[in-house]
Amino acid sequence: MAGILVTLVIGLPWLGAIAVWQAGNGRAKLQHTLAIVFSVLTAIISLVLLMFASSEAVIQIPLGVSFGELTFVPDGLAVSLTAIAAVVGSLAVIFSVDYMHGDTQLGRYYFLVLFFIGAMIGLVLSGNLLFTFFFWEITALCSYGLISFYNDDPKAVAGGIKALIITQVGGVGLLVGTLIAYVNLGSFQISVLLEKATTLPSVPLSFIAFSFLIAAAAKSAQFPFHTWLPDAMEAPTPISALIHAATMVNAGIYLLARFYPAFESVPAWTMSVLLVGLVSALIAALSALIATDLKRALAYSTVSQLGYMVYAIGAGGVFASQFHLLSHAVFKALLFLAAGSVIHSVGTRDMRRMGGLGQRMPFVRNVFIIGALALAGVPILNGFWSKEFILEIGLEHSPVWTYGIMLFGAGLTAFYTFRMVWLVFFGTERDQLHAHRAGLAMRVSLGILAAGTFVTWLFFGGLNGLLSTTMPFHGFEHESLLEMVISILSAPATWFALLIVGLGFGISWVRMKGFKYFGGGLLQPLVDTSFGFEPVNTFVVQGVSKFAERLRATQTGELNWNILGIIGGLLVVLVVLWMGA
Amino acid sequence: MNLFSFSSLIAIPLISSPVVYLAGRIGTHETTLHGRSYLVRILALIAVLIAWVPFIFSALSFLSDGVQEVAVETIRLSVDGISLLMAGCVLLLGTLVVLFSGSYMMEEVGEEKYYAMLLAMMGLMIGLVTASDLFNLWVWFEGMAISSYLLVAFYREQAASLEAGMKYLVQSATGSVLVLIGIAMVLTQTGTLDMAQIAEAVSGSAVNRFAILGAGALFVIGFGVKVALVPLHTWLPDAHSQAPSGISAMLSGVVIEIGLIAMLRALAVLTGSAHSWGVILMGFGALNILYGNLLALRQTVVKRLLAYSSLSHIGYILLGLGIALYSGVALGAQGAFFHLFNHMLMKGLAFLSVGALMYGMFLRNDSHASLKVADLAGAAQKYPLVALTLSVAVLALGGMPPLAGFMSKWQIFVAGFQTQNIWIIALMIFMALNSVLSLGYYAPLVNLMYRKGPSAQVLAGKPLTWSIALPLVIMMLLVIGLGFFPDLMNWLTVPAGGRLMTMFGY
Repeated sequence: MAGILVTLVIGLPWLGAIAVWQAGNGRAKLQHTLAIVFSVLTAIISLVLLMFASSEAVIQIPLGVSFGELTFVPDGLAVSLTAIAAVVGSLAVIFSVDYMHGDTQLGRYYFLVLFFIGAMIGLVLSGNLLFTFFFWEITALCSYGLISFYNDDPKAVAGGIKALIITQVGGVGLLVGTLIAYVNLGSFQISVLLEKATTLPSVPLSFIAFSFLIAAAAKSAQFPFHTWLPDAMEAPTPISALIHAATMVNAGIYLLARFYPAFESVPAWTMSVLLVGLVSALIAALSALIATDLKRALAYSTVSQLGYMVYAIGAGGVFASQFHLLSHAVFKALLFLAAGSVIHSVGTRDMRRMGGLGQRMPFVRNVFIIGALALAGVPILNGFWSKEFILEIGLEHSPVWTYGIMLFGAGLTAFYTFRMVWLVFFGTERDQLHAHRAGLAMRVSLGILAAGTFVTWLFFGGLNGLLSTTMPFHGFEHESLLEMVISILSAPATWFALLIVGLGFGISWVRMKGFKYFGGGLLQPLVDTSFGFEPVNTFVVQGVSKFAERLRATQTGELNWNILGIIGGLLVVLVVLWMGA
Repeated sequence: MNLFSFSSLIAIPLISSPVVYLAGRIGTHETTLHGRSYLVRILALIAVLIAWVPFIFSALSFLSDGVQEVAVETIRLSVDGISLLMAGCVLLLGTLVVLFSGSYMMEEVGEEKYYAMLLAMMGLMIGLVTASDLFNLWVWFEGMAISSYLLVAFYREQAASLEAGMKYLVQSATGSVLVLIGIAMVLTQTGTLDMAQIAEAVSGSAVNRFAILGAGALFVIGFGVKVALVPLHTWLPDAHSQAPSGISAMLSGVVIEIGLIAMLRALAVLTGSAHSWGVILMGFGALNILYGNLLALRQTVVKRLLAYSSLSHIGYILLGLGIALYSGVALGAQGAFFHLFNHMLMKGLAFLSVGALMYGMFLRNDSHASLKVADLAGAAQKYPLVALTLSVAVLALGGMPPLAGFMSKWQIFVAGFQTQNIWIIALMIFMALNSVLSLGYYAPLVNLMYRKGPSAQVLAGKPLTWSIALPLVIMMLLVIGLGFFPDLMNWLTVPAGGRLMTMFGY
């Protein structure tokens, strides 16, 4: 049974992808319908799969020499991420019906979206590292295709290729780690690596651990690979929701969470993870303070929230990271889709031109505020519980200064969230923008997600049970919802954190009244250069490209030079051989 | 002659070559340049299809009885895993190219010469891979080279095409001379040209080691010109981009690889230190990968871009072989041969897809212009099938799973890591990063084809024919299929890899 469900949950979206593509761009209605049917079916199956979670492989196909055995293991981590990808993904698809209305290339759009969802599900369910890599690459390719979906626009093309190259460099990390594990263990099975990690010599194990950290950081847009995500905002907005909430960036968190027990003992590894998360959370929050592009501001907040999850894993709170991942998937999808409705309606992403839109789009304003409050961590929304849970773990298991910085980050989050809401929906209308109400499909998916922000934290106990019973290597502690609620509400740190959040809101509110000035002050140059990393990217890219251009001079087209190349090659080989002899 | 023996696999294309030519010429008026187009095409197709019969029987008897020796008069041919794999590559790609060329070369001046030379080249290449003495190896090699010169310079009215042919001729001839000198050196040292006897003589003490190594260097460079090792590669971008598309596919998919096989066969007998050959192959491999990728990055002509990407793919193959020779990990050789086969499919598919676009956009509009990257914009709107096949081809070349190219690169990676040698592992990481770099020029091609705004050339494009589309579909299915079932090629790549290891004394 579980085997059939796993096959369906990966196969259906891929089948749907082909179906939509084959339907042809002339038949928009059929394409929308097919996309919704397949994605919703996938979502339903993914929810059913939750009941069949187990730590055993349900599909095993031997592939022979050097490819190992293809297995799928629907354990707690895998099925919960599957459900997130499928459910949030299907809501993004429903939303797209209105958002992509009238687009002439729906076939390509839905093909990539559905293929992406299927690949993400395959990635988390795979029990074989080779296939984790395999799906990893497909998600990178799909994200490339979707980020540069508006490929008549050079900015979209550039953003796409940037995402592709950076995440692929991360992919090399995954490849290297996988191969080192394989030659030392003779198996690609994830369960074998987790089981035998302690028997590995320390040098290869550290190599695997840090290679995987590089891979995860690149995929989840963490420091120092954080530069691609803001540029990925050229994508259609439902895609941003898909990438930021349902798929793609979760893969990096997944990788760290999956292999935490294997790498826990590697010297400096947990500290590195902690620091990567901390730095990402902080610099992204600072960037979000002054962003003027609505989607960019949200993108920075994603990097920052992912930073919290990575920080949690570094502090040993794998479960906390997954709990926050769930909350984040819901409220970030909500925020992006609500932002999408605004952008779709007014035709710009520039917050400097917005303002006062709340009166004309009351529904969108309300759900956006709900999402924003969840992001800021206001009780009793899901973001509050999961963020407090992470902070609590941080206070217990990591140096106190890191906790201080994360707390400061929470204050910043409140600040930029309030700023965002204010600039878009309140204050004076700065520009005469045409705004219309969101369509039905948009409101359906927004409504579901808004409801989700109120209730997903109630799944704490269920998620905990799912992970702790099916993941033997992680040694999760049993904790019920009630215990979590009591421990968070009774901790003085929680109230302190809420005070910081309130302070963030307050300062923001004071600043926003009569808001005129948009410059970023001292932060501006730092944010413009992604804290100094954008110039590094540019340097590498331009360096390679200039070098390639110069190298073209070696193709002289003159026979004399060509023959000289042959003779020169002969001399070199002769010398090498005679020296070696 | 027995139709079922391997010798007829060589003989059928060689005999049908003049037949096709004469059938196209005899009886046509001297003043008309066109031969009998239809007859020529059908005859060529029949010839390659018949050639499958001996191939299948040879493959079956190889699988049951192992390495076979076939004697034709005094020439001995040895049918081992390597020759069978290469013969398969030549035959498969040759068949598809003949099919493809039916429309592509229709009514071209000298069409009958095209098929005659193509068939001759196929026969000579299959002969080459079975040669068991150095002299015959050289003769086959030269024969192949001569037939390929004429094909590269096929559009004899065009300056660029003639220039490419001329460069190819001069550089290849330089290489051949070096090979010949090498053979002479081996003969003076060992007194024989038979490969088995040379191997024995070399292991004795009577030979001058420096002379033998010198001969080895001459083989590496001499054959290396054909393999397009950097910096001996300078003929390749011109030749691949100026030749008719079917020939570009043949050149890139099999001809340069056949040169590599010739090199390996010649080097194997001089062994004693497979290590050194391994190091040299890995060195050239790394250089080829980097140079090919960097130059491909900035190309604006699609076929030139693909030509440079052939340099880097030869590099991957060399790395796999080098790993095997240096450290004795047979998986490296298997992976390299698997990649060789996949490269034939992927690059063949890429060149034929580009050829299909050129056919629709240029040839049918009576133009011989070269296809620019910018011309691809929006190609999917008029040519959805070709856009798909070209996308699959370039993504496979870029190493995207689950396509064939990923699986063979993966085998090479695994082999490299199995050596546990830190330098080789560093080389593997270098190779992986280069694969990422290569996506920097492959992915935009795909993106461009699915753009909304089509280029003027696409708008003016004419429809394609079934005989152009069919080979593309077949190859695309193979590229995807081998990605999902990489083990399907084990029956050829494992014996080929094993044979290489025994040839070099492992």
